[in-house]
Order: sequence, then structure tokens, then C-alpha cells
Amino acid sequence: MIRYLVRRLFFALFLVFAVSSSSLILTRLAPGDFVVETLGVGVSRDVAEQARIRYGLDQPIATQYGRWLLQAARFDFGRSLAYDRPVADLVPERAFNTALLALSALLLATLVGLPLGVVTGTRGGLATSVIRAASVVLVSMPPLLTSLLLVFAAARTGWLPIGGMRSVTSDGALLDLVRHMIVPVLALALPIGAMFERLQAQAMRQAVSQPFVIATRARGVSRRRIIWRDALKVGLRPIASVYGLVIGTLLSGSFAVEIVTAWPGLGRLMLDALRARDVYLVAACAAAGSIFLAAGTLLSDAALVAVDPRFSE
Amino acid sequence: MSVIAAAAIGCRAAPPASQAVESVSGEVTAADRVAAGAPTRGGELTVNVRAEPQSFTWYTRRDGTTQLLSLLTQGKLVRVNRATEELEPWLAESWTRSSDGLRYTLKLRPGVTFADGRPFTADDVVFSFAAAYDRGSVLADSLQVKGARLVVTALDPASVEIAFPSPFGPGVRLLDNLPILPRHKLQGALDAGTFGDAWGLSTPVSAVTGLGPFVLSAYVPGQRIVLTRNERYFRSDAAGIRLPYLERIIVEIVPEQDAQILRLLAGQSDMPAFEVRPEDYAPLKRAADAGSVQLFDLGPGLDADGFWINLKPGAFDGDPRADWIQRDELRQAISMAVDRRLFADTVFLGAATPVFGPVTPANKKWYSAEVPQVEHDVDGAKALLATIGLVDRNGDRLLEDRRGNLARLTLLTQKGQTALERGAATIRDELHALGVTMDVVMLDGNALVQRFLSGRNYDAVYFRFGATDTDPALSPDFWLSGGSSHVWNLAQKSPATEWEQRIDAAMARHTTALDEKARHRAFVEAQTIFAEHAPVVYFAAPRVYVAAASRVVNLTPAVLRPQLLWSADTIAVAHQERPR
Repeated sequence: MIRYLVRRLFFALFLVFAVSSSSLILTRLAPGDFVVETLGVGVSRDVAEQARIRYGLDQPIATQYGRWLLQAARFDFGRSLAYDRPVADLVPERAFNTALLALSALLLATLVGLPLGVVTGTRGGLATSVIRAASVVLVSMPPLLTSLLLVFAAARTGWLPIGGMRSVTSDGALLDLVRHMIVPVLALALPIGAMFERLQAQAMRQAVSQPFVIATRARGVSRRRIIWRDALKVGLRPIASVYGLVIGTLLSGSFAVEIVTAWPGLGRLMLDALRARDVYLVAACAAAGSIFLAAGTLLSDAALVAVDPRFSE
Repeated sequence: MSVIAAAAIGCRAAPPASQAVESVSGEVTAADRVAAGAPTRGGELTVNVRAEPQSFTWYTRRDGTTQLLSLLTQGKLVRVNRATEELEPWLAESWTRSSDGLRYTLKLRPGVTFADGRPFTADDVVFSFAAAYDRGSVLADSLQVKGARLVVTALDPASVEIAFPSPFGPGVRLLDNLPILPRHKLQGALDAGTFGDAWGLSTPVSAVTGLGPFVLSAYVPGQRIVLTRNERYFRSDAAGIRLPYLERIIVEIVPEQDAQILRLLAGQSDMPAFEVRPEDYAPLKRAADAGSVQLFDLGPGLDADGFWINLKPGAFDGDPRADWIQRDELRQAISMAVDRRLFADTVFLGAATPVFGPVTPANKKWYSAEVPQVEHDVDGAKALLATIGLVDRNGDRLLEDRRGNLARLTLLTQKGQTALERGAATIRDELHALGVTMDVVMLDGNALVQRFLSGRNYDAVYFRFGATDTDPALSPDFWLSGGSSHVWNLAQKSPATEWEQRIDAAMARHTTALDEKARHRAFVEAQTIFAEHAPVVYFAAPRVYVAAASRVVNLTPAVLRPQLLWSADTIAVAHQERPR
């Protein structure tokens, strides 16, 4: 088990290195640069060239990449051209905001989606049909659309803030943060919760028809106990296997949600960095994103091993 | 004038700033002013911008949010009143011009101090020019006349002399572009050669000071910038009340324009910092009718989207289209083939005015009806194309050149800008009716600008530039052949064509003449040559709409950006709680 996880950890490190390197190189190779973005049209070539020299963009790409690698080995990941701050200061702050959103959404989706899936997978009736229909609708809606609808609803009702992370006058109050989180968290959690419900319902249907469940039932164990203790453990396997992917989806989904709800997270930072061709910031954001993805995959693998020890072999 | 043309739709119009409450003898309390409908001090304004600032100084970055912050925190020697287009004394209370038109002596307003309490003197003016001409500044180009710098001398602590290299028609209007910086804060950076990095976003906001109506009090990356009243600001209103009226301005960063409109409609913000899109008109009009929002129709804007073909000599060497693609007749035919009314209706949902050149009717002073206009005439366009050998040779309704090659070009435009995307599609469809095949390729803004700045590997572009001033002499980079915004053939060492040489000459007369009539004649001549050769073809100027919550008063909208906040010191809010 430990050997397996260590192997996965090395793979994760390689993933982070490869993703950040290729992001830096591709951003540098893409047409346009930070000077074009920041100065636009209408400045003389001299002014533009001076700016390129100042930002180190006059250097060949190999030189720039080599220098960045050397610095990165000393945990100096460069300075954002747009924000004029070390990316090592900027990215953790935004990554925390994204993680807060993603983990809250994941928690909510899990707490709502799993039990609902257990219920709809083991029972019939009107409630099951309604939940199933709602899940199908929510699964087919991308987070962008969900967030637009929720933002619209928030605007119409006036019950919730439409965007941002904190009010100006909040002074860091937790309640204010929670109010701001409701729209983006719901936008992310609803499609994922619906997906969990669908997956869990399917898995539960298969689980309750397995011979060991029938045998246990025949021994007189109550149906509720069999479902929530025995069948659920078997039925968790599909959910555990997609958890890593879901974390990846949450990060990519939060990209759109962060824009719509003006949430100062990693997705928005990366989009701004890409638009501005802020090379070091793009590389750092991509690295942070790949760390999330690698962590999600690791978590998923660990969860799989926990529910089914055969996976560690 | 723009402010007169501006109309508040559906809701009461805010009183213009010029109607500030008159002085009365005796004590006038805030309650009296409220009762009189006059603006009073206090309250906060929440403004939405789409992007983070790139700096705290306009000297080193040119994005809209940085410009807005500079406007709010810094003062200038003179100000162009965006509503009347007139030049107003600002930090300079008066000025005189020498008889040869080369030297201006400016008398500085006495008793003015920076927000940190240090006095403002002529040394700050001299320093600001030195900083503007520093290698780290991006303002140098805009403070040159005929490629030469101005020479600034402090005559005494309260007056400066500015020497121009040649007579300059706009005179000190040029200085509207120069925020005055505090020498005591930035001299060190200038001396150390690090001015280009000064007042970046990592600078503590307490270190940034200025002569503007507000001071930075907080910057939360990705979220907001908070500005509070500069208690040492030099202006007062007619009743002697110290400006600005507002206690605080909160600039919230909301990247999504739909979200900005929703926040305004929900009462969670007071205004987007800049104009709204044509598609936002309908919901805002409903809100204006209901009285919760003010919607201003400022008429046609100063900018129109332009279409141009790469005219760089040699750009099409070896290309089978080289015989005809850079010919005047092609651009003239395209100009004739596009129905500008249809274009305005399709691209801007009717909220646009057909235009025929870079100067739109919004520019009251410099727009001229004498400049030739092009009638929509598809047959005429076909006849013109036939003169350069483009005719339908095989009956497929598509034009071919003399060698039988299809008349085909690729049009680049910016991805994600709906007006540009729709405009490019409309041009493509209109030219298809003419028999010219056009492929539209959308690139992100940065890649597009890089492509046409390089002058290589592109056929045609459809794009928009924002005007920064209405006086054409302050846009030499567009009009002159050596200019950095002379987009069809950038930064020429000497004029590539005879007609560009004539435009250069007319613009030189327009720029150096001190007599307004002579300037006007010269500019009409430049526009006429431009219209004849159509290096850039314009189709429609979108109308400019701006919106604000109804509790915001004393607004003076103008077409130049930022349309409402250019006069932030006189904006006030009615004293009622904004719904949260």
C-alpha cells in the first residue's frame, strides 16, 4: 500500500513539473506578449522594446526557461509581471480560495448526493422519480449555466450577494464569507451532487441484488441495516473511483464559476494571467492546478484501496 | 455638446455639475442642501470594473482600470472638461502664451498640498515631465510635438514655463494627459533608474499619494480597491463645500459584464465604470422606467470599429493576390458594398450611427460634413473591382482575378468581443454578395494586436481603438505615416505613398496652426484625402449608454471614458441606504 502511494507521489511530482514547464513554454510561444497586453497599440517601438527588456521578454525562450528552472529549484518561481509580486505569494492565496470553494462544493455534493443515491437506488415511488429527474437536469447543466441562473436568482431575490468573496465592511466575518460562498458553492455542487446521486443509485441497485445481500437478508438482518452497512460499502466503489476526476472537474468548473461570481480564485487568476501572457504566473497557476489534480487522484486511489483492498495489489 | 445631447432615459436626469447650489449668506446646513436638492458630502459609491489595475500609476501602464485610479487619485495642471470639451484650469490656475506660440507660462494654484500634506510646487511639475520622459514611462510619446520633447522650467515655486519645439495648436491641452506626481515620493526611483517599476501593485497603498480627490486606502487583489476622500483636495463647490462629496469609492473587480449589470439591477453596485453593451439596454431600460436606475444615452461614440487591409510594402510579395489586394479600388469597393444602416442594425442592434471616417459625429468640434461620404452601391463596387481585374469569369457569382485566382482574403478580428464578431460576420456576408470571399478568423486580443503590429502574415483586420482625446492633433500616432497607430502600415520611416505624404503635410499644418479656422481647414483636407484612399474603412459608431443607480446624483455624463467618473469629485449620492 505505502509503496503504491509513494509511486503515485513520484508520478504527481513529475506531473507538476511537466505541466508547469509546458505552460510556461506554450505561453511564451503563443502570439503576443505581456508588453502588447499592457501597452497595447499606440506606443512607439522604443517604448515597447524598453518594456520588454525590463520584463526580461527580450531573452530567448530557452534562456528564460533555463533561468526559471534554476530559480524554481531554489523555490523561487518568479515574479508576476502583472501583479508585480512573487508568484509564490500570489498563488497560494488564490489556491486557498479555490480550494475553499471546491472542498465545500465536494462536501456538499457528497453529503447530499450519496444519501439521495442510496435512497433512489433502493426505493421506488414518486420521491425517487422526482429526485432522478432533477438529477438528470442538473447533470446536464454545466457549472457556467448553473452559476448564471443562481446569480440571476440572487439578483432577483436580493437574498444573497451576487459576487465577490467578502463585503467591504465585513472585517473578515465568517457569516459574510459563508453568504458569499452560497452561490458559487451551489453552482459547483449541484451538478456534482446530481452525478453522485446517479452513480450511487446505479451502484446500489447492483449491490442489493448481489447474493451476499440476499443471503444476509435471509438470515433476518433488517433491510435498512443491510443497505446502509453492507450494500453501501460495495456501492461506494464507483464513487471512490471518480473522486479524483471530480476534483479535476471542480477545478475546471470553478474556472467559469469564479468569473461569473467574481470569486478571487485560481481559475480567474490563471485566465487573467493567460490573457496577459504573464508567463511565470501561468506556470505557477498550472502547477497549483496540477497539484490539486494529483492530490485528488491520490485521494481517489486511497479511497479505492480503503473500500476495496484488492486495488493495492 | 455631448452633455446637452445626453438624455436620462426613463428616470429623472441628474442636475448637471454646473448647476451646483449657489452661495447664500448665513449658515447653510446639510439638511438645507438636501432640501434644496443640492449634493451633500458623505456616502459611498460602488463601481464595477472588469479587470485588475496593472499599476497605481498611469505613467507605466495604459489599461482602463489604472487610468481610472489615476484619475481618482492624481491631479493635472489643466483638465479637458469631457462634457463641454473645453480646457479648464486645474492645478494651474491660469496660463499665458508667448507671441511666437512657443512658450507657455503657467501659474500654479497657491496653497495646494498633496494628500500626505506636502506642498505642491513647480518642482513637482518639472519632476513629472522628467518622469514622463524616463525610459520606464509610457507617456513620453504623447508628450512630444513633432517628435521632440517639451522643455519645462520652474520659474519660481508657483510658476513654470513650458517650451514647445514648434507652435502647437492644442497648446496646453496636451497636459490633460499628465498626472502630476509627488517629487518627494518618486525622485529616488527616477534617480535609481527604477521608475518603471515604481508604484506597482505591491506598493503599500499608504505610500501612494497625489493631488486627486481620493486616496487609495486598500487594495485586495482580485476583489476591490477602496478609495477614501482626500481631505486636502484643493477644490470646493460654488457654495464653498469642500470636494469631493463622496466619502469613499469602492472599485469592485467583476470580470463578467452580465454580472455587473445584475449587481446594478439588484442594488449591489452603483455603476459599471464604463459604457454598457447594446444587449444590456433592454433590462436597464425596464429598471430605468421603474425608477431604480438612471440610463443615459450619450449618442454615437467617438470610436468606430475599423476595417483595414495590410498596406505594408512587400507584405504580399510572392502572393498571387499581390496585383490587387493593396489597391485603393478594393477598399473603396468594400466601403461601397457594405450597407452601413444594415450594419448598424445587425451589429449594434440598431444602437449605432453609420459613419464614413475615423471622426464620428460625436466629435462636434472636428467632425465635418464636408468630408466625402460613400453611398451604398453594390453595382458601383463591382464596377470598381472590374477596373483592377476582379470579375466573375466562370459564372459562379464569385470574383476571380486575371489569373483566375479567387478574390479571397482572410479577416482577423478579436474573439470574445460580440460587436467585433458580429461586425466581421456582416462584412463577410456583404462581401459575399459582391463576389468577394472572406474568411473570418478570430484571435484573442493579444495575439491579434501582435499580428498586425508585426505587419506580417495578415490580410485584413477588423478592430477598434479607443479615443483618448477629441483633438486630432493629439492623435498623431494614427494620422502620421510614422505613427505607432498608423495601423495599415505602421511606423514608416518616410511616407510610403504620395497620399500619406499629403496627409502628413495637412496634419502638420493642423498641428502647428494657432488659428482655429486654419486648423479646421487643414484637418478637413486630411480627412478628405483619407476618405479618397480609405486606408481604414469605417461602418458604424455604436451609441454609448451608461447607467447608474438612481441614488447617484450630480452626474455629468460624457462620451469619453470613463463616461461618469471623469468628474468623480462632484458626484454625490442621495443619503439613503443602498439595498444589500
